[in-house]
This record gives sequence, C-alpha cells and structure tokens, in this order.
Amino acid sequence: MEKSSFESTQEFFDMWLKVYNATTGRLVEMPALGPTREKSDKMMKGFSTFANLFAAGMDTSSNLQSVFMEAMRKVHEKTATDMEGEISPEKCKDFYKIWIETYSETFKDFLKSGHFASDMGKLNSYLMDFQKYNREMLEENYLKSMNLPTKTEIDEINKELYSLKKTVKELTSQIKELKEKK
Amino acid sequence: MNGLNLIDDQEKFRHGMEIFLNPPDFSVGKTPSEIIFQEDKMKLIHYIPTVEKPHPVPILIVYALVNRYYILDLQPDKSMIKKLLDEGFDVYVIDWGYPSGVDRYLTLDDYVNGYINNAVDKIRERSRLDKITLLGVCQGGTFSIMYAALHPEKVKNLVTLVAPVDFDTDKGLLHLWAKSLDVDKIVDYYGIVPGDFLNAGFLLTDPFRLMIDKYVGLFDRIECEPNDTACSIRNEETIKNFLRMEKWIFDSPDQAGETFRQFMKDCYQKNLLIKNELKLNGKKINLKNINMPLLNVMAEFDHLVPNDASKPLTEAVSSSDKETLVFPTGHIGIFVGSKSQKEVCPRIAEWLKPRSHVDGTNEKKPDLAKKKTHEQKRKNRKSKVNIK
Repeated sequence: MEKSSFESTQEFFDMWLKVYNATTGRLVEMPALGPTREKSDKMMKGFSTFANLFAAGMDTSSNLQSVFMEAMRKVHEKTATDMEGEISPEKCKDFYKIWIETYSETFKDFLKSGHFASDMGKLNSYLMDFQKYNREMLEENYLKSMNLPTKTEIDEINKELYSLKKTVKELTSQIKELKEKK
Repeated sequence: MNGLNLIDDQEKFRHGMEIFLNPPDFSVGKTPSEIIFQEDKMKLIHYIPTVEKPHPVPILIVYALVNRYYILDLQPDKSMIKKLLDEGFDVYVIDWGYPSGVDRYLTLDDYVNGYINNAVDKIRERSRLDKITLLGVCQGGTFSIMYAALHPEKVKNLVTLVAPVDFDTDKGLLHLWAKSLDVDKIVDYYGIVPGDFLNAGFLLTDPFRLMIDKYVGLFDRIECEPNDTACSIRNEETIKNFLRMEKWIFDSPDQAGETFRQFMKDCYQKNLLIKNELKLNGKKINLKNINMPLLNVMAEFDHLVPNDASKPLTEAVSSSDKETLVFPTGHIGIFVGSKSQKEVCPRIAEWLKPRSHVDGTNEKKPDLAKKKTHEQKRKNRKSKVNIK
C-alpha cells in the first residue's frame, strides 16, 4: 500500500502517547493517599483505560483512513479519463459501479489481513475495559450511594437462579426416572 | 436519452417508495405448525405434515443461536421446511427464542445435553421410536455433531448443513477475526452478548455491498410499466422478498454469555472439536462415536463457513454410510436461493428417504393420493406459531 499522509498523523500520535506515558500517565498511576485513597485509586485508573482506548482507536482510524485513501486513488485511476466531459446519468451509474467494486475489493484485502484482525481485537479489548470501568464507577459512585440495584447484584441473582433451575431440572429428571423404575 | 434515463431512475424510486408507503404483508414462517414442548425460552415446533403417512423417522432441525430458524421457512416458495413436508417428512424445529439476562450463565452443555436432548426425547416419545434424524444448520450443525457424538443411540441419521467442525482455517473472515478477540472481556462486560455486536461483524465481512449496494440494487430492480398489473405484482414481490430477508438478517437474538465464551474459545480459538478434545460438562466429545449415516452438505461459495471448516467432518466420523454434497451457492443461498428448492432439498430428501424407515421394516412411501385431502385439512388449521 502506498504511503499516505495519515502516517505522519500516526507518528505524531505515537509521539504524544510516549510523552503522555512518561509524564501525566505516571502521575495518574501514582498510588493515592489518605482516607479516600481506595476510591481515588480506582478513579485514576480511568485515565489509563481511556488512554489505551484512545491509542487503539487512533491506530485503527489511521489504518482505515489509509485504506480509504488507497481505494480513492484506485477509483481515480480507473475513472480519470472516463469521467471527463459532460456528466450524464449513465456516467454516474458507471462511476457508482466502479466505486463500489473498487472500494469493496480494496477493503476486502485489508479486512483479510492479520493486521486488521489484531487491530480490531485490541480496540475491542480496550473498549470492553473502558466500558467495564465506566459501569463500575457508575455503580460505585452513583447507584450504591442512591441505594439502587446494580448490574453486578442482578448478575449475582441471575447466577443463583441459573444454579437453582439447574438443580430443579436434575431433581425432576431423577424423580421421573425413579417413577419409571417403579 | 440521458434525460429519459434520469426520469426512468426517478420513476423506479417513486414506484418503490409507493410500495414502502403502503407496506405489503411480508410475514415469515407461515407453514402451519404447533408448539409441542417448551423449556425456558426454547420451543419445540412441530410442522403439520402434508401427507397422510409421513416417513416414520421424524426430522429435528437444530438451527444456530445466531439469527432465527425461520430462514428455513422464509416464504412458501422459499421454504426448506415446506419442501421437506411435501417430500413426506415429519418435521420439527427448535426455536431458541431470545435469551435475556437470566440466561447469561447457560452453557454449551445446557444447550446440547439439556435443550437438544430434551427435544429429541420429546420427539422419540411422540413417535415411539428410539432414534430420530437430526438436521443441524450452521452453528446448530456443530451442536448436532456434538449431540450425535454424545448420544449416538438416539440419532438415526445426521445431516449437517453448512456446519463448521474444523475451525482452524483462514478462508473465512470470521475464523480469522475470532482468533484475535478477547472473548473473556466481551462476555465479562456484556453477560448476554448483543446480537447487534455479532451483526456488526457479519456486516463488516463486505461492508460496502451489505450496507450500500444492497439498497441501491433494490430500487434498480423495480420495473416501471404504467398500468401493467403484472408488473406491479412483480414489484411488490421484489419488495416483499427483500423485506423478508432484511427482517431475518437484523432479527439477531442476543447470545448466552457462557455459551458464547466456550464456543468461541474452544471451537474458533482452540479448535478442540475436530481434535476430539472438546469437553461438555467434563465429558470429552469423540467424533468417532458418530457411527450413524451422515450427510455433510455445504455451499461452495460460503463466506461465513468455508468448505474447509465443514469437509473434515466426513473423515472424522466412523460412519460407513456417509456422503458429502457441495452445491454451487452461498451460505444464505443454500436456504433461499433458486438452487435450494430445485437441488438442495430434493437431494437431501432423496438421501433421507431410504434411511427414514424403522429398522426391520420396509420403507413406506408417502401416500400421495391422500395428500390433497390432507393439504386441505392443513389449510384449515391456523398456525399457532407467530413470528412478530
């Protein structure tokens, strides 16, 4: 794939991330002190969770932009001469066909690459961390203080319910077997 | 000429929009049926036979947890189920329903040794037979393979339709992407994995065609012959068929988290099933236990379950009576494409018929003379299964 201008954006962002990790990143990772240290500790972790997500998002976005640029370049190559002169509905249709085919094929190649799979895996993983963190914060700082049920508590009930249902099913089946034996 | 084309395109769009503004009935799953058993959200549906004396051995269709079973009964002229009924079979289908929070801890074992086993037992009880035919579709095919290996004494024939068994392939994008997913984080966060999350993955396999070109193509297929009733009917059918597919594609149930976790990790990431190392509730699944007749059906251009993922099943089992069929169609086309009704269903029926009689008796062919009367009776019954 040809070098695109997004690579410099990527380089700039990598540099920013290095600086963040060496400065603010270290500051927010510092152990908290005092009576609220437990809460502060958890809250500060949010910064690094977000920084990870942001970094993965920038990486993915930059790669996607490069593929878009590549697809656009290919479309331009294919249509440069044909699209000269008067614009007609047929030309628009032809352009659409070339556009959709070129974009589909270019993206298919990209989606097949191990690079995309690992990028998406990383982005998804950081997104889950971030969402989980947000939920924990919401439960900790809002729902619990408002004395409202949390997702964690509902999950505990669901687990208990699942286990009880399973036991009931097993016992019912055993009773049925015993009845049949009689 | 150019101006005329532009007007023609606008007319197509206008005609299409007119149909959308007065939407026709595009309901799905219309083949008459009844619910004969229910456990939690799982329903066992029995289709009313269209022949007086169906082949003795009933068929249980096990569909995937992703999307809904009614792709097999999308509309009367594109219905695998109707075709099988007309071929004289007694057909049952498992409807998994829509899992919710309370189902998040359901495991693969609960699906295979719980729901499927109970459905099989119910059908055995009704038909008074020891063994029935299992027809597994896609992920439901993988479940059926697991079931047949664990309970071979209850399965007379095993038919797998586009079912993955060897997940270590890079031919399909889903297989490729799944290896990089942190499944634990997804399940730990969601609990019940949203259907939309999975759908996003399916759409990403060909984003431009699936999210843009498909809709552009719809209006392109609209015909504009003024005052032509046949043309209006054709247009309405085009829209109806499109809407049915659209409904099915985006009718994506959420996934029980623990089942999703085990399926993704043990199958897609570790590929344990084909290695005979996958365990359900501590019990190892040995594919060599599959000794009943096997028909392994796949689609040549399947982009979701590549042939490399399905083919190894035929070699992995110990059945002496086994066959592999590959049709030149795609993953969805095998159910609703033109080849489905003309080639796929007839071939499956042809294979099943001689194997659908009770051991020790001769094959009984459906009583076609009585078929008409029976069909009339059937029409008078109302379907008890509603798909909203």
